[in-house]
Amino acid sequence: MGTVESLLLGFSVALQPDVLWYAFLGCLVGTIVGVLPGIGPLSGISILLPATFGLDTTKSVVMLAGIYYGSQYGGSTTSILMRIPGEASSVMTCIDGYAMAQKGRAGAALCIAAVGSWIAGTFGVIMLTLIAPPLATFALRFGPPEYAALLVLGLIFLAYMSATSLPRTLLMACFGLLLGTIGIDNMTGHFRYSFDIAELGDGIGIVPVAIGLFGLGEILSTPSATVVGKVIAPRLRELLPSRDEWRQSAMPIARGSVLGFLIGLTPGSAHIISSFLSYGVERRLSKHPEEFGKGAVAGVAGPESANNAASTGAFVPMLALGLPTGPITAVLIAALMIHGVPPGPTLVNEHPNVFWGFVASMYVGNLMLLALNLPLVGIFVNVLRIPYAYLYPLVIMFCIIGVYEVSHSIVDVWIMLIMGIIGYGLRKFGFDPAPLVLGLVIAPTFEMSLRQSLIMSNGNWAIFFQRPIAAALLGLCAALLALAALSLIRSRKDWRSKLAEVEAGENP
Amino acid sequence: MTLRRDHIAGAIFVAFGLLVFALSGDLPVGTLSFPGAGMMPKLVASFLILFGLLLILRANESAPVATVAWGDLPHAARVVAITAAAIALYQTLGFLVTTALLLFGLTFGTERRHPLVAAAFSIGVVALTYLLFAVALKTPLERGILGFQ
Repeated sequence: MGTVESLLLGFSVALQPDVLWYAFLGCLVGTIVGVLPGIGPLSGISILLPATFGLDTTKSVVMLAGIYYGSQYGGSTTSILMRIPGEASSVMTCIDGYAMAQKGRAGAALCIAAVGSWIAGTFGVIMLTLIAPPLATFALRFGPPEYAALLVLGLIFLAYMSATSLPRTLLMACFGLLLGTIGIDNMTGHFRYSFDIAELGDGIGIVPVAIGLFGLGEILSTPSATVVGKVIAPRLRELLPSRDEWRQSAMPIARGSVLGFLIGLTPGSAHIISSFLSYGVERRLSKHPEEFGKGAVAGVAGPESANNAASTGAFVPMLALGLPTGPITAVLIAALMIHGVPPGPTLVNEHPNVFWGFVASMYVGNLMLLALNLPLVGIFVNVLRIPYAYLYPLVIMFCIIGVYEVSHSIVDVWIMLIMGIIGYGLRKFGFDPAPLVLGLVIAPTFEMSLRQSLIMSNGNWAIFFQRPIAAALLGLCAALLALAALSLIRSRKDWRSKLAEVEAGENP
Repeated sequence: MTLRRDHIAGAIFVAFGLLVFALSGDLPVGTLSFPGAGMMPKLVASFLILFGLLLILRANESAPVATVAWGDLPHAARVVAITAAAIALYQTLGFLVTTALLLFGLTFGTERRHPLVAAAFSIGVVALTYLLFAVALKTPLERGILGFQ
């Protein structure tokens, strides 16, 4: 079946009224999650995960993915109107978006952000449509050595792209890999670190760890007294940008879309990195770089397009290879697994309804988000008026329900609390918890691939260099490590250290 | 010598790596041609110790430990204590009672809101959440031994 026929099959699934309803629900929840500072898409997806148990796979994944890309739309609203990033990926939009709002151009900034997000999101889905199926076919050639090499490359790439230093990122990834070894060893049946707790025999789940680190950890680090909400009310009659503003935003949207999609394919916080890089590129290419920070249209259009394209790009390795590029795609993989549908090279051929229905729903979902985010922005802004003192207890309650309902295990809820405390500590010491979750997710596949490779080769490590794909992937690892070492020796400030400064709250 | 953030962090990870080795005594490493259950944890723990030591060696690039702000710790401790109590009671008292107490504890106990407002908020939210999950989404919530959901 060709791409067009497959896509038509997808639309026949995605345009069913009940699938449309769940896509709408996901987009709506995603927008609200994006608007609210302190609640990320990961918390939103995890909280709603138990609610999808009664649904079929397509509806579940359509709704949960809608939360993810919907949150990228919603994050810009808070950035533009409050100068608080609703999502980490909207940090760069705060700078010029809020400056535009102060000039009375809040409506135009919101419109440019929404249209840019829609164009970039749709571009990302078109690329996903074209790239994922052939990539999945190619990945069918992968055996254990190739998977082991690919996962090592993922970890090294994550460390290289990370804003924090290489050892810090790899430390977090190792911590996650260690957590991933808890439970019964699939190859020998040994219990590892389960301390006679029956629930630990199955290992530590992704959901309690992710919700603890990102949901609860964020709340513990944010005392309510420090959350001050001052919202600039958008003038909806000024929602349409001027012709000059459209002209200024056209190329940044195009560049942001391409840049964001490419970065989205790589592991790590791609949606955050892409918006930072897009901002840097636009400032460098601008004829008036002095306008950046004072309300430059390109400073809103570029980063907002980039983060949306990146969130769509992240679905390519997830769907085609079964590999998560971050904690959010990891939870989406968990959602697919719960429904008995393993993501990866076989997904396209064995579950075409799920794959193409999901892809088609993203075309529809992006249109829905455009319709939701512009006329209803006034309603979403009201969500920001809920005092934080009432908001975070709600989030904690949903965290408990979300974790408990996955497997009705109170041990999981305790793990969430412990992870929340660890997440609080990690933030204090400047660690990014994302590699920890990634390490936890890939641990079983990585260990299995590594051990199977060694068994296949009768203990000969050369197997990783004798197979061309594995050797090429390990060659890429070596190149990235050499690049990282080079920048360490030169002690130059590259884009990663600048990103770290911005994330720490310094000026770009 | 100034004690820095990465001295502490690196030392914690080195200690954790050593703890993993101590707990892995009975896990067989196996051979290269048939790796055992202990191979992966010990390999990763070795890397953890290595990167921890690297962090300590490069600690001069990090901020002094005295500059780490702990002003939010009392608030965080109160939130953790109330959440821990709720988790401990969840399977006994069930969803309705436990989450109402959790919300009241956080809004009144931690945030010092008016008790009547906090009570109304807690009961209202729990009722709405119950309707959302148990009625609209058909997701059964924990009943507890008292029989309340």
